[in-house]
Amino acid sequence: MDIQLLFFAAVKDHFPDLKKIEVSEGDSIVHLREILTRTNPGSESILKVSRFAVNQSIVSDDFVLREGSVVAVLPPSSGG
Amino acid sequence: MSVLEAHSHISSSPIFVSSQIPDIPEMGGFVVFSGIVRNLNEGKKVTHLEYEAYAPMANEMIRAILEDACKKWDLLHANCIHRVGKLGISEIAVIVETGSIHRAEAYESNRYIIDRVKHEVPIWKKEFYLDGSSEWSKGCAHESH
Repeated sequence: MDIQLLFFAAVKDHFPDLKKIEVSEGDSIVHLREILTRTNPGSESILKVSRFAVNQSIVSDDFVLREGSVVAVLPPSSGG
Repeated sequence: MSVLEAHSHISSSPIFVSSQIPDIPEMGGFVVFSGIVRNLNEGKKVTHLEYEAYAPMANEMIRAILEDACKKWDLLHANCIHRVGKLGISEIAVIVETGSIHRAEAYESNRYIIDRVKHEVPIWKKEFYLDGSSEWSKGCAHESH
């Protein structure tokens, strides 16, 4: 099944074009983190400290993805 | 919540400190905090910044933080606007306004709002330096990581 990905700030340096990927039924955020790290090993350190949001809500590592989920990868923020 | 402003909390237009305060007769204390772009960070000369936001989520999170502040303190006014895009030195990056019957609530809630906005809201800062280099701010890692 396909999910959509949104990348921001420093994470964009590693995934400039990746907008949609295929994951398996039952895959969670943990699996997505592994898939992204495999896709680009240089992203491991920033992914480790990033939060993930699905459909604009922060989710934990065990959150199970669904068809069409819009997943945002959010590196540590620094507003203000 | 009625004391919260209805407009967007994320702005691509310049933010200014207004000389006018909200017209609320019961309000005895009004606090304004402005976060300003400075020309130096960790010993490096900064020429300008760029702020990026996950705008719809950031807007909703700031709204929720203001609502939380209104639950914790008896506020008559609460607002926060964060800038995005390219900002020059001395421009306002963020503004937080709080108003209450007495000053204590206005001061405390204002600090609470800006601290949560800085730590939680998906807004990122890229610094551009005098030597031509640039770097995303490392930011505040969330407690859960």
